[in-house]
Amino acid sequence: MQKIKRLLLVGIVISILFLSLIITVAAEMTAEEIINKRDNNEYFDTAQMEAEMIIVSGSRKIIKTMVTLTDKKNSLVEFTNPQDRETKFLKREDDLWMFFPDAEEIIKISGHMLNQGMMGSDFSYQDVMEADKLTDLYDFEIIGEEEIDGRPCYILEGIAREGVKVSYYRRVSWVDKERFIGLKEELYAQSGRILKETKANVIEEIEGRWVPTNSVMENKLRKDTYTEFTITQIKFNLEIPEETFTLQNLR
Amino acid sequence: MITKKYFNIIILSIIIFLLVSIPISAKVDIGGELAASLISIIDDQGNITVYPQQSLDLELFLPTLNNTQAKFEIYLFNNTMSGGFDYLIKKLYLKHKFDKLHLTLGRQPISWSFGSMLNPVDFTLGAMVMDEETGAKYQDAIEAYIPLNWNSSVLLVAAFPEASQYTKWGLRGRTMIEGYDLTLNYVREPEMDFMGTIIPASQRVGFTAKGDLGPIGIYGALGYYFKDNNDGDLAYLIGGDYSYFFEAGNKIYFQLEYLSMKKENLSSILGPFFAGNATNNLNENIGLILGTANYEIDEFSQINLMAIPSINDGSIIVIPGYRNQLNNNLSFNLGTAIYFGKEDTLFGSDVSEGVQQKPKGMITIGLTYSF
Repeated sequence: MQKIKRLLLVGIVISILFLSLIITVAAEMTAEEIINKRDNNEYFDTAQMEAEMIIVSGSRKIIKTMVTLTDKKNSLVEFTNPQDRETKFLKREDDLWMFFPDAEEIIKISGHMLNQGMMGSDFSYQDVMEADKLTDLYDFEIIGEEEIDGRPCYILEGIAREGVKVSYYRRVSWVDKERFIGLKEELYAQSGRILKETKANVIEEIEGRWVPTNSVMENKLRKDTYTEFTITQIKFNLEIPEETFTLQNLR
Repeated sequence: MITKKYFNIIILSIIIFLLVSIPISAKVDIGGELAASLISIIDDQGNITVYPQQSLDLELFLPTLNNTQAKFEIYLFNNTMSGGFDYLIKKLYLKHKFDKLHLTLGRQPISWSFGSMLNPVDFTLGAMVMDEETGAKYQDAIEAYIPLNWNSSVLLVAAFPEASQYTKWGLRGRTMIEGYDLTLNYVREPEMDFMGTIIPASQRVGFTAKGDLGPIGIYGALGYYFKDNNDGDLAYLIGGDYSYFFEAGNKIYFQLEYLSMKKENLSSILGPFFAGNATNNLNENIGLILGTANYEIDEFSQINLMAIPSINDGSIIVIPGYRNQLNNNLSFNLGTAIYFGKEDTLFGSDVSEGVQQKPKGMITIGLTYSF
C-alpha cells in the first residue's frame, strides 16, 4: 500500500513538474514574437501626426514643427515652422523627393541623403519616414532582460537582413514586457561603433495602442547634442487619399 | 498685347475677391524673411566700396478653398543703383487643381531645376544659379500641369516676358525609370528687347536625368540650342554628389559637375557670376568645372567652399561661405567671392576697354530673420 502511495506521489510530482515546464515554455516568448508584438503596437496602416522637433546643441536649441502622413510604405512630411514653412519631403520606398517652396520645384534627393539628419536634427530622414516593419528589416534574438525606469524589459538584438537597405546594421532594443513598446534603443554601425541612442520618455495610450509621445535621440558621435521629438497629435488608420503620396501632391 | 497688360490686374482682382470671400474663421498667415547685410566690393586696385543692403520678403499664406489656392509674395529691397527702395512681385497667382489638370495663372516661379548647380536646360536660363534664385525665375504665365501617374507628368507653360511682346512657350515631360528621374523639355523664346538690344527668337530642347549609382548621386543634362541656319549648339552637363561621415559624426558633402557649352550661351546661365567677358570668341566651346564642399561643424553651423574654374583660360571664381543659425529665426551669413584670371579671361577682373570693370572680390556679411 505504501509502495502504491509512493508511486502515486512520484507520479503527481512528475506531472506537476511536467505541467510547470509546459507553462514556462508557453510563457517564454521568442524574439520574433516580441518584435512582432512591438511592430503591431508601434506600426500602423496609416497615421497622421503633428510633431515638434527640438534640436539641442550645448546651450542652444532650435524648434522645428511638422505634419506627417504615413502609410505602410510611403511617408509625406511638411514643415510648418517659419524658417522651413511649406518645405515638404516625400519618401516612396527608397526614393526621397523634396519640394522647395521658394522655387516651387520638386527635386529627387540622392539616396545617400536618407541617412543624414533631417533638417539638422539627430533623426535621419530614414528614422522619421521609415514605414517598414522591423521584422522585415532585421533578424532578432533575445540577449537579456533588464529594467528601464522600473519597467521590466526584454533586450533584443537585431542584425540587418542580407540585401535589405537599412540605416543601422545592428540595433539593441529594450522592449517593455507588458506594453511591448521600445523604451530604449541603441543603434550601431557595421563596424560595431554606436551611432545613436534613443529613449522614450513619455508613453501614452492612444486609440488602444501605446505610443512614445516624447522621445530623445542622442547622437553618440557628438558631444552635448540631442534631438527631442514630441508628438503633439496623432491619429491612426484614417483614410488617406490615393494621390497623397505623389509628386503632384507635393506642388 | 492686351492679354499681358491686364494680366496682373485680373489676378489681383481675383485675389482680392478671394480674400473678401474667405470666412473670418479661416486662417490667414503672413510670413517672410527680413535680411540686412553689408556688401564690400574690392576692385582691381584694392579699393573697397562698402554699401548696406536690406530686404524684406513678405508672403501671404491663404487657406485653400475648393482646390483653389491663391499666393502672394513680394520682395522689397533697397536698390543700390537708384538709391531708393524697389520691389519685385515674386508670386501673385491662382492655382486650381482639377482632377486631371492643375492650372496656375499669374506671376509664378518657373524653374526646372533637377539638382545641379547650373542648369543649361532650364525654362529661363540662369533662373537658378548655384542654388541661388534670380529674378528671371518669376514669370507672368499660365501653367498647365497634367499628372499621368504618381511620378509622371506633362507641363505646358505660356509665359509673357516683360522684355517681349510675344509669348514664350515651354513644354516639359517628367517620369521615373529604374529609380532615375527623367525630364524632357522644349522652350521657345520669343524675340526680346533689352534696352534696345534685340535678341532674336530661339528654341531649345533639353533632357535631364538624376539618380543613384551606389552611394553616389549622379545627374546629367543635354541641351540643343537651335540656330537659324539649320545648325545648332550642343550643351551638356554631368555631375555627382556624395556625403562622407567622419568618425566624430560630422559630415562633409561634395558636389562636382562639368558643363560644356558655347560661350555665347554661357552668360545667361551664369547670371550675376558672369560679368560680361563674352565679347570675343563667342563660338568658342567653354568647359567649366563646378565643385562645392559643405562641412557641417555642428547642428547649427556650416562652412562651404565653391570653386568654378574655366578649363579654357584658367580663370576661376572661389566662393567660400559660412552660415550659423543663431536661434529659431535668426541666422548669420558670411559669403565671399574672389575672382582670379588674366585680362579678358572668363572670370578675370581685368577686361578690355569698353567693357564694364569686374570686381576682384566681394564680401557679404549679414543677418536673416525668418518669421
